[in-house]
Amino acid sequence: MIVNYNWILEWVDIKMEPQKLVELLDSIGIQVEEVEKVPGDTIFKIDVTPNRGDLLSVIGISREIAAKTGKQLKKRIEYKFPEVNLEKKINVTIQSEEDCSRYILSPLSNIKIANSPSFITKRLEKCGIRSLNNIIDITNYVLLETGQPLHAFDFDKIEEGITVRRAKNEEKIVTLEEEEKKLSKEDLIISDKNGPIALAGIMGGLKSGISEDTKRIALESAFFKPSLIRGTARKLKISTESSYRFERTADIYLVGYAAYYAIQLFEKYTGGKIMGKIVDTNPNPIIWKKVQLSCGKTNDLLGMNVEKKKSLSILKNLGFQISSETGDKIEVSVPSHRNDIKIEEDLIEEIGRFVGYDNIPFRFNYSNSRTIWIENKEIIEIKKIIARLGFWEAINIPFIEPHWASPEKTEAIFIENPMWSDKNILRNTLIPGLLENAKRNLNRGEEFIQIFEVGRVFTKANEEEENVGGVIAGNISKNWYENDREVDFYDIKGVVEALLEEIKILDYSFENCTNPHFIKDRALSVKAGGKVRGAFGLIVQEVCKDNVYGFEFNLKNLLNARKEEHFTKTSVFPPLKRDISIIIKKSTPFEEIKSMLDHSTKQKTRIRLIDVYSAEKIGKDKKSLTIRLEFYNPEKTLTDDEIKDDIKLITKKLESIGATLRE
Amino acid sequence: MDLESLGRETRLEIQKAITVDEVESIRIKHLGKKGSLTKVLHSIGNLPAEERPEAGKFANKLKKELMTLIREKKESIKRKKSLPWLDLSLPGRKPRMGGLHPLSILSEEIEEIFIQMGFSVVTGPEIETEYYNFTALNTPKDHPARDMHDTFYLNDGRLLRTHTSPVQIRTLEKYSPPLRIISPGRCYRVDTFDPIHSPTFMQIEGLWIDKNISMADLFGTLALLAKKIFGKNVKTEFFPSYFPFTEPSAEMWIQCPFCKGKGCSVCKKKGKIETIGAGMVHPNILNALGYGEFNGFAFGMGIDRIAMTKYDIDDIRLFFQNELQFLRQFDDSKL
Repeated sequence: MIVNYNWILEWVDIKMEPQKLVELLDSIGIQVEEVEKVPGDTIFKIDVTPNRGDLLSVIGISREIAAKTGKQLKKRIEYKFPEVNLEKKINVTIQSEEDCSRYILSPLSNIKIANSPSFITKRLEKCGIRSLNNIIDITNYVLLETGQPLHAFDFDKIEEGITVRRAKNEEKIVTLEEEEKKLSKEDLIISDKNGPIALAGIMGGLKSGISEDTKRIALESAFFKPSLIRGTARKLKISTESSYRFERTADIYLVGYAAYYAIQLFEKYTGGKIMGKIVDTNPNPIIWKKVQLSCGKTNDLLGMNVEKKKSLSILKNLGFQISSETGDKIEVSVPSHRNDIKIEEDLIEEIGRFVGYDNIPFRFNYSNSRTIWIENKEIIEIKKIIARLGFWEAINIPFIEPHWASPEKTEAIFIENPMWSDKNILRNTLIPGLLENAKRNLNRGEEFIQIFEVGRVFTKANEEEENVGGVIAGNISKNWYENDREVDFYDIKGVVEALLEEIKILDYSFENCTNPHFIKDRALSVKAGGKVRGAFGLIVQEVCKDNVYGFEFNLKNLLNARKEEHFTKTSVFPPLKRDISIIIKKSTPFEEIKSMLDHSTKQKTRIRLIDVYSAEKIGKDKKSLTIRLEFYNPEKTLTDDEIKDDIKLITKKLESIGATLRE
Repeated sequence: MDLESLGRETRLEIQKAITVDEVESIRIKHLGKKGSLTKVLHSIGNLPAEERPEAGKFANKLKKELMTLIREKKESIKRKKSLPWLDLSLPGRKPRMGGLHPLSILSEEIEEIFIQMGFSVVTGPEIETEYYNFTALNTPKDHPARDMHDTFYLNDGRLLRTHTSPVQIRTLEKYSPPLRIISPGRCYRVDTFDPIHSPTFMQIEGLWIDKNISMADLFGTLALLAKKIFGKNVKTEFFPSYFPFTEPSAEMWIQCPFCKGKGCSVCKKKGKIETIGAGMVHPNILNALGYGEFNGFAFGMGIDRIAMTKYDIDDIRLFFQNELQFLRQFDDSKL
């Protein structure tokens, strides 16, 4: 909301520099977002919180300044309509008082449409409103000054009285902006004999609007139910100065003052004259609501002592009335403009706000409580494990393109109002985001990237779950001690193995990958504890030119595969090592050899692959493998003799699958 | 000179020597034919008979020790000398490094601060219902306060949470007060994607429900938090504010670290930056949950905003573009 300094000075007698005024407003919770100096004036852009509709005006801001500085407003907000009983009168019918609890309609004749006087156009301009003609300008001027929206109809275009009612389903109106809007019974309208002539509190209709030829007007000042105005404004996507204020609740008393004030301005600047009875459907609205306040509770909640005298003076300065007070208890009557004050705590905030939050002391009392749960502990731990494996953590926006979901898209959760129209589903996998990260970094000239993310993925079946994913791409760069090479399958496999071992999943195995995000012949699924926990391998993608390898696990699934940790006795005796080289069919998976040898020997044995080699001379469909066997015994140092039998056994087993031993 | 100081001095000389020649001259000086220790050894015969064995033993032990030291020193000098030249300036073989995202680092840092104050850390769903995200938080439909949270809606009528406050309601439904919790997590609001806005951001919210909690507890806690995040010289200020779920409501601002309060483009010439929204939990919320006899405070902060202030980052999008050049710059000492 925009107000200018000079206008405020008309309402409250202050002698402080605009900058001081900003500080004063800040201290009572009225945030001045921008201050603009113009010749002879200063313009404030104020961020008014949605509970304080009463602050959306010059009067509203002035009232708070007056309260803070202990001054009275320079003008009184009082009115008395002239008693007239002349020719014209428009009948006003209110369908529901709940929808429209006050409606004032004033008929004025003798209107001469012209430009407004310059003091009006200048003020409108400062507050960001374009001058149109003296009629519209005056309604806007009164809106800015009082906060009460007004609407002027062309009197001669209203037929047979006005009804404030809900629209009928399918009823239509063409607004002042010449747009046709379809209505329903959720919408409140002003109508005449022929149908809607205005969207109540939002915008007038084209048909009944002010034109060059307007001679007589009907001036509307009303109180509409805030939620109705908000509902319609949002549905029709229209937001006006008027709807903005009605949504935030008008001041039912001020409805009368604004009409009165506008009539004065019309008479003065347009030649207009009241030509008939002013209709007021609720001339004496009940405005003083009662709220009880306890001084003790005030002190307890604010955490400081505020003397009763001080509280009383703050409340009075703010326009509250004290109905009664006995000891600790104060009964407070709330003025009509303070619709936000409903309960005791609201009053306590007023007192705190005016005593000043900077007077509230700091208290530090953290006894009597222990931290009971840390629900994200495992997530933090796994992030750190993956980071220690050389990966950088990414956080991606979880909106993705629908082609990432299955062809039927049945599992995808769509966003109704997406940020980007092509990315209109919630991610069901972390891979798209990670691919974008890979691409972006490779384009930035990074040679080698390892990136991971831990975050939610969403599917209809499983709601939302935490996933862990990572990608590797690029070249392990050439340096003075090794040659460069493109990353390959074994890089991602090594990472997955390390990750599994780090989180103490030791009984894992690999099987054919069924995850559609990976290329079948270059990917594996990870099985542990009898269940598939995730997959890794070469990613099916068109995002990056380079090959991107990745992994993805469901976090809960992965952590559930963890075994209780059992300590195995360490051995102080060095293992006995033997290397065996074999030549075997190329298509024999190493896993087959390893699982055959694992746990088959008398002594405990670790089996490691230390060389793989293919060459013409050993045969096209053959490969040479060198396996290192490490025999160990926790009790003693083994001798050659003690492993003789095991070596024999292993040799036999290898030969049984067609391997020949090399020397 | 007595034997003890002679030994001490000689040891020191050996230690200081750099070349083999130097060591050799030390040997000659003390252990050579006319060396100082040799002289002492020779003079033992002049001592009274009862002192001779003791003195002889000591002198011989010292001689042996010094000879060993000299030999070892010479060897050590030679060993060093005999290594071939190596370009020690070549880059080392570094283990591959990774690290956490700055928002994770900061979030954990803040969580730790609250854990020390006895808060538990709770999490909850990012897909929420109108009820948990708004209604249960005293924000009915068609309330203008909903404008403060522009919301992403899903095709099943649910929404993406606009703050982590729903977690507070879910926790209060499960556990009765007194309790202290914080809820970190991702939130969503319809916004442009530009240097100061993002459709998703990270939040930490806190809730302390007990009896006789006051604004003084709230302000004390937040001021302490600010000191721990931004350093003990940070200047904090509290102002009245409005949130539908708190009454009274407040905001904590810190002095702009970029201009030190003078006013700059970062703080929009205000000299201060809004960091935390807070207040005393609205009685409507506690009453609806059946906890009318309790009160307490709640607060919320955007980790992204705090990170921008703390690390001097001028574009929020950097957090979601995940460029390694950016990610590498943050402290990973906690790994």
